[in-house]
Amino acid sequence: METLRQLLVSREISELSRVTHLLDEPEQLAAAVGGVLPSAAARAPHAQLGEALAPAVERAVQRSIQKSPRTLTDILYPVFLPAIRKSIGERIDQTFQSLNETLRHIFTWHGLKWRFESWRTGASFSEVVLKHSLVYRIEHAFLINRNSGLLIAHVTADNATSEDPQLISSMLSAIQDFVKDSFNEKEQSSLDTIRFGDLRLWSEVGPFATLVSVIRGNPPEELHEIIRDVLLRIHEESSEALEQFEGDSSQLAGVEAQLQTCVELKQEESNQGFPWLVVTAALLLSILAGGWFFLSWQSAQRWQAYVSRWQAYVSRLEAHPGIIVAEQQVRDGQFYIAGLRDPLAADPQSLLSGTQVDPAQVHSQWQFYQSLEPEFVLKRLTASLAPPDSVRLSIDNDRIVAEGEAPDTWIDRARAAAQQLSVGGPVFDISRVRDVSPEVLEAERWQAYVSRLGTQPGIIVAEQKIHDGQFYIAGLRDPLGADPQSLLSGTQVDPARVHSQWQFYQSLEPEFVLKRLTASLYPPDTVRLSIVNDRIVAEGEAPDTWIDRARAAARQLSAGGPEFDISKVRDVSPEARAAEHWQYYVSRLEAQSGIIVAQQTARGGHFYISGLRDPLAADPQALLSGTEVDPARVHSQWQFYQSLDPKFVVKRLTASLTPPKSVQLSIIQGRIVVVGEAPAAWINRAQAAAEQLSADGVVLDVSQLRELNLAELNHLREAIQTTDIFFSSGKVVPGPEQTPVLDRLADQIKEFAQSARKSGVTARFMLTGHSDTTGRETANASISAARAETVRALLNKRGVAPELLLVRGAGTFEPAVPENSQTGSSTNRRVSVTVNLD
Amino acid sequence: MLQKKICMLGGFSVGKTSLVRRFVQSIFSETYLTTVGVKIDKKSVALPDKTVDLILWDLAGEDDIGSFRVSHVRGATGLVLVVDGTRAATLAAALTLRERVEAEFGAMPFVLLFNKSDLADRWVIPDSEIDELRQLGWQIYLTSALTGEHVDDAFRQLASMVAK
Ligand SMILES: Nc1nc2c(ncn2[C@@H]2O[C@H](COP(=O)(O)OP(=O)(O)OP(=O)(O)O)[C@@H](O)[C@H]2O)c(=O)[nH]1
Ligand SMILES: [Mg+2]
Repeated sequence: METLRQLLVSREISELSRVTHLLDEPEQLAAAVGGVLPSAAARAPHAQLGEALAPAVERAVQRSIQKSPRTLTDILYPVFLPAIRKSIGERIDQTFQSLNETLRHIFTWHGLKWRFESWRTGASFSEVVLKHSLVYRIEHAFLINRNSGLLIAHVTADNATSEDPQLISSMLSAIQDFVKDSFNEKEQSSLDTIRFGDLRLWSEVGPFATLVSVIRGNPPEELHEIIRDVLLRIHEESSEALEQFEGDSSQLAGVEAQLQTCVELKQEESNQGFPWLVVTAALLLSILAGGWFFLSWQSAQRWQAYVSRWQAYVSRLEAHPGIIVAEQQVRDGQFYIAGLRDPLAADPQSLLSGTQVDPAQVHSQWQFYQSLEPEFVLKRLTASLAPPDSVRLSIDNDRIVAEGEAPDTWIDRARAAAQQLSVGGPVFDISRVRDVSPEVLEAERWQAYVSRLGTQPGIIVAEQKIHDGQFYIAGLRDPLGADPQSLLSGTQVDPARVHSQWQFYQSLEPEFVLKRLTASLYPPDTVRLSIVNDRIVAEGEAPDTWIDRARAAARQLSAGGPEFDISKVRDVSPEARAAEHWQYYVSRLEAQSGIIVAQQTARGGHFYISGLRDPLAADPQALLSGTEVDPARVHSQWQFYQSLDPKFVVKRLTASLTPPKSVQLSIIQGRIVVVGEAPAAWINRAQAAAEQLSADGVVLDVSQLRELNLAELNHLREAIQTTDIFFSSGKVVPGPEQTPVLDRLADQIKEFAQSARKSGVTARFMLTGHSDTTGRETANASISAARAETVRALLNKRGVAPELLLVRGAGTFEPAVPENSQTGSSTNRRVSVTVNLD
Repeated sequence: MLQKKICMLGGFSVGKTSLVRRFVQSIFSETYLTTVGVKIDKKSVALPDKTVDLILWDLAGEDDIGSFRVSHVRGATGLVLVVDGTRAATLAAALTLRERVEAEFGAMPFVLLFNKSDLADRWVIPDSEIDELRQLGWQIYLTSALTGEHVDDAFRQLASMVAK
């Protein structure tokens, strides 16, 4: 077998390694890439750097193309090398794949047959394969304007699909341009063949239009002639319209009929539409690579077609299943053939008829063998197993498959046969034969019933068995679930032979939980409960009380049961809650003294409030904070008023009466009580205020006010008031002998003023100037005033605050002693002091 | 079926490919992949009286007229000349390309696009220069493949010019 394999595939293996070597020839590759991208190649591993350099490298390539268009092809080659290499790499992969495939199936009949032929004729294996699959079909025909590449007409074979013929047309002509430019082709000649896998694009060039045919499969060379004819006829018929074509194809409608004749050309019906879409995609991606394929394909076009009659016979034999030609020879005009044949296969001798090979010249040597090809195995199995009518044997993907119904005895025999076969032969699959023994049938029905129960929600089958033709089953059932007994109907299981034991339980299956929840929670009409992905979902609207209950239920459920999702229930209470917040705010306002709420309403989500407020009371607006009432929705109207609340009255009194420090105002049982000491004047004012307030019903109790006790000061006051400053006649400045008097007076005044202030009383001192009666009255008046002023200045000089000192001139009107007495004049020329308290 | 071959002409990286992509697929990408050779796209434009299929040949940008493959323009009925508004030299390049094409195939309708109008801060083409060209009766658009501004207008204008 190893030698046979060597014999068959060694050529391919060596051929492949040669091609791979050629492609991977490192010097060539390095020279080409290195010449253009030396630095980029050096840094190839850094992907980012490569990306950054890409535009510059591309630019450099373009420049070099611009410099010497003659070497365009050479320069383009390395630029496209990666792309081309990739394409070739893929092709090689494919070839490998198909080769591997071939090696694996080396003993399939086509494989063997073609390998023998390849070996015999010296043609490569692929050539033989090609020759044997010479079928083709023209799937598309494009008529393309030579000038613009615009599509004139396009015709498609049945079942063939195409991306966008207009685009393809233009791209094809772009490829032509490229090849023409790149390979210095002459104007007249043009790219006439492109090959993509199984698909060929043939183009025939006419004076005004190019006809491109898309051919699937392997067309004969003669097809070129036929296509050329079609193109010629199109030119004859519509040359003028073709010449003048400017993108409007409506004038050339007749051309399609001609193209149609092209598309109908085919040899042997192809099975299915070619994956034209895929090929189109490849076409779009590798427009330029296409140019390359063109070159490589031409070299692959060499093939020969010589087949002798004998070889026809041999191939005919080889094509027969159950016949293996091991050797054949033509020697001295005689034909020798040797090989193996299955007794069930066709007779080689009888196959000679009609081949025009003379049987007399044929010397055969055939050995019988048992072919393991599925069709032979099938025949033998059919003969040996004698399957009942209810069983069908067939071949499916090289496996023999038995289908249908049979008693267990037959199935056992078939199983034994399958086991015997397994070595080397095809698989014999009997899994699709149903056992139809009566007990089996009954058991099957029972199992159907059990599995029916199993799929029932709320029923759990714990145990079941068949014993002595009786059926036993035990398990749990939810009272809300279906009745297992009633499910028996229609199962053909005899109820009399069924013995069940069911225990009730609460199913945690969502639908049962749903039922129970519905019963216990009484959802309002606005709430819908449903099951979504094994979760119970409540949707709709409900007041928060219900939501709370539902939430509690959900929490209870959580252990083991389905999830109960109430997140989609909208709380319809927000308005209610907002109203609550509002009420809280209102009550807060009402509790505030100095604020009287007269009216308030909530309407349409907005809140309206009006009333009275004392300017000294808290600001209603400020009270909103922390109440969760939206200030923007509150509309207030407040009128100011004077609150009679004692607290406010006290505030107002404090502001208006400015009580001395020795006085305290306090509220005792709703009454305002003033206690302490105050000067009489203040006490009078307080009493007046008390009278006024009593009219408003507010009690201001001033009875406990005591007049300020100035006893200590009285002495001082006496001293001050008995002090006089004396003057010489006609003088307004006292003599030096008065200095100690002034000094003492100043000290006394300061002391008095300070003590009075301590008691909350302001003391003022009136300086009254006097004169004697000598001289004119007017002069006396001014002298007296001047004397008072002088004393004020002198006292001021001694540290007495000037605002405490009042001055007046009394002239001669308030004499201290009668003028006519002895000392009269000199005693009366003075300044006297009186003390006032307020 | 009325088809017209249109060629995108202009210097290197002025935005020819981006304009075609914007017009045909309504998308834009920042990444710059220079066009090698030619890229072909198609878009149907509905005009008031007919529909015309524009077959758009997006050619590789050339700053150097010497290497320009004039053969790609053969059979075209209209040109889209593209200038990069942020590079003054690309205007000269576009005008030279047009002269080259006219010398080879005769006069044909065209629109002149000053592209990348979104890059106002780097704009170098003075308005006076654009106005001067307008005086010649040329159809001129300030386009942006990025925002799509005036891209459709320009192609539609050309479509109606070539469909006559
Ligand atoms: N901001 C901005 N950038 C643009 C605009 N149009 C194109 N670009 C950018 O400019 C660069 C070049 O754009 P392409 O469309 O590839 O230019 P091109 O003319 O086709 O270039 P070649 O094919 O090399 O001739 C890319 O990075 C684009 O993202 C535009 O209107 N505004
Ligand atoms: Mg581009």
